[in-house]
Amino acid sequence: MILRADHVAGGAFIAFGVLVFAISGDLPFGRLSAPSAGMMPKLVTGLMMLLAGLVIIGAAGSREFAEIEWSDGGHAALLVVITAAAVAMYQPLGFLITMTLLVFALLVVVERRNVWHAAAYSIGLTLFAYWLFGKALKSPLERGLLWF
Amino acid sequence: METYDSLLLGFSVALRPDVLWYAFLGCLVGTLVGMLPGIGPLAGISILLPLTFGLDATKAIVMLAGIYYGSQYGGSTTSILLRIPGEAASVMTCIDGNAMARKGRAGAALCIAAVGSFIAGTFGVIVLTLVAPPLATFALRFGPPEYAALLVLGLIFLAYMSTTSLVRTLLMAAFGLLLGTIGIDVMTGHFRYSFNIAELGDGIGIVPVAVGLFGLGELLATPSRQVTSEVMRPKLRELWPNRQEWRDAAMPIARGSALGFLIGIIPGSAHIISSFMSYALEKRISKHPEEFGKGAVAGVAGPESANNAASTGAFVPMLALGIPTGPVTAVLIAALLIHGVPPGPTLVNDHPNVFWGFVASMYVGNLMLLALNLPLVGVFVNLLRVPYAYLYPLIIMFCVIGVYEVNHSIVDVWIMLIMGVVGYGLKKFDLDPAPLVLGLVIAPLFEMSLRQSLIMSNGNWTIFFQRPIAAVLLAICAALLMLAAWTALRKRRDWRSKLAAAEAGENT
Repeated sequence: MILRADHVAGGAFIAFGVLVFAISGDLPFGRLSAPSAGMMPKLVTGLMMLLAGLVIIGAAGSREFAEIEWSDGGHAALLVVITAAAVAMYQPLGFLITMTLLVFALLVVVERRNVWHAAAYSIGLTLFAYWLFGKALKSPLERGLLWF
Repeated sequence: METYDSLLLGFSVALRPDVLWYAFLGCLVGTLVGMLPGIGPLAGISILLPLTFGLDATKAIVMLAGIYYGSQYGGSTTSILLRIPGEAASVMTCIDGNAMARKGRAGAALCIAAVGSFIAGTFGVIVLTLVAPPLATFALRFGPPEYAALLVLGLIFLAYMSTTSLVRTLLMAAFGLLLGTIGIDVMTGHFRYSFNIAELGDGIGIVPVAVGLFGLGELLATPSRQVTSEVMRPKLRELWPNRQEWRDAAMPIARGSALGFLIGIIPGSAHIISSFMSYALEKRISKHPEEFGKGAVAGVAGPESANNAASTGAFVPMLALGIPTGPVTAVLIAALLIHGVPPGPTLVNDHPNVFWGFVASMYVGNLMLLALNLPLVGVFVNLLRVPYAYLYPLIIMFCVIGVYEVNHSIVDVWIMLIMGVVGYGLKKFDLDPAPLVLGLVIAPLFEMSLRQSLIMSNGNWTIFFQRPIAAVLLAICAALLMLAAWTALRKRRDWRSKLAAAEAGENT
């Protein structure tokens, strides 16, 4: 049997549904005349698994799993790792340091741009965003270590 | 007469200098959002939502709606000059708009697109003015069973209109509904799937999900080497179309406006579908169908008018019923709720300033967009020359700030990042994330309506068939499901598969 994209997608949703049911044990379903907190999640999870099953049944018309293009995977992974690092640092380090580092890292690590150009751009951009959100729109930004 | 007086009230709000300023800002940002590939109106509105927190509800909704319909204008510029749709609704404009540009008629194509958008947008607002208030009065008869049936109809309609299969669309909607159940159950106080994370008690916000799926997810799948920045630059004196081009554009603009508005009020990605339907209609009735694909004026005028009219039409169910027809109107509803203004049948009476101010601002906004898009096209084109490698770090930064500023919650930013990865994965498996967002938004209202209906009827499911409005809505659902099954059984290549091919870049 050829493994197709819809086999994998449908399988993933069914596995997710099983997981949801497994962690829904303490949610009461209630009765039809008095539905409780668990009714909607369990009904919707069941529906989702049913539809995922239908996707698997109709998978013959989908692409082969091996044909899916993953050439952008490296780019995506780098972006996720750098953004995740920025999210983790955002509250401790604050807006100015984190955002400067985020833009700088994206330009240097992902885009292989000149370090000095990247530094100038990231500092300029962060200062502009700081002015726009923090000063012009008076939106409270994370201060972090620097306390400004 | 009552409508006339109310509209006058609306203009007294919309023409205040501060409201005008935010309408202008929304239109300007919307034009830029529409032009730049990679940020659609949904991501643009979601990212910029926190900017409106300091504003009152009228200014906030005027600005955000300006971004939405402004993006429909801006999308045409990128389509015509680069053959890349700045946003999905401009997909059809790429074909003949870019062909016109290659023949040296880029200015004329841009002008026809802008004028068509203006006429269609204004037409849409006039019909909205007339239709929304009576519809809201009618919707006051709706109780929980009617709302539950209406929301089911919305999802089925979305699935039916979708370019992917009905089953896949409903799968994504079910996934969205499931995500929408996270948080405290308002009827019993149970915590659902919150894993002792206090922030999850309030549920998953629509902004982190929308920004993640449509903003970050798009950037993850778009390495900079795949983005071109070679742009034609039209001269201002070349902008005016000749007499024959005006003549060729007139009727397609009229047809596109009417068709677009009708499709706009139906749930689904209406502005995308309407532009395709308009293109197909113009090609079918044209005396020279062979010119389509080679620079036919009707191939620009029709779709551009249709997508603008559709984006206005989408405001009808949003304002009158409080029901989103797509992810963009879902975010706009969330914006209104954040500002303490619940959209729906009571909006017209409870907040006339917001409702009529918003409607009147769209008349003004369409004029602003015409003034912005034609003379300043050369300035906007320069923006397309900024290398994508420098543009997307800015977008990621705005995604993080935008999501964080909604609730000052780092959990929301993590959710955005996770949703970005989910969005990337969904793209790889050809699953459309739009129904997921719609499911997430309607989940609380749907659950509440369903449970209230069952309690009202003492657990009797037939309540949905005993009440006439709910029964009619469910009958339409059944008819749509049967139609979809019939099409699938006959394996017909209908307009939805053709639209899917067009979105994938194949010629129709």
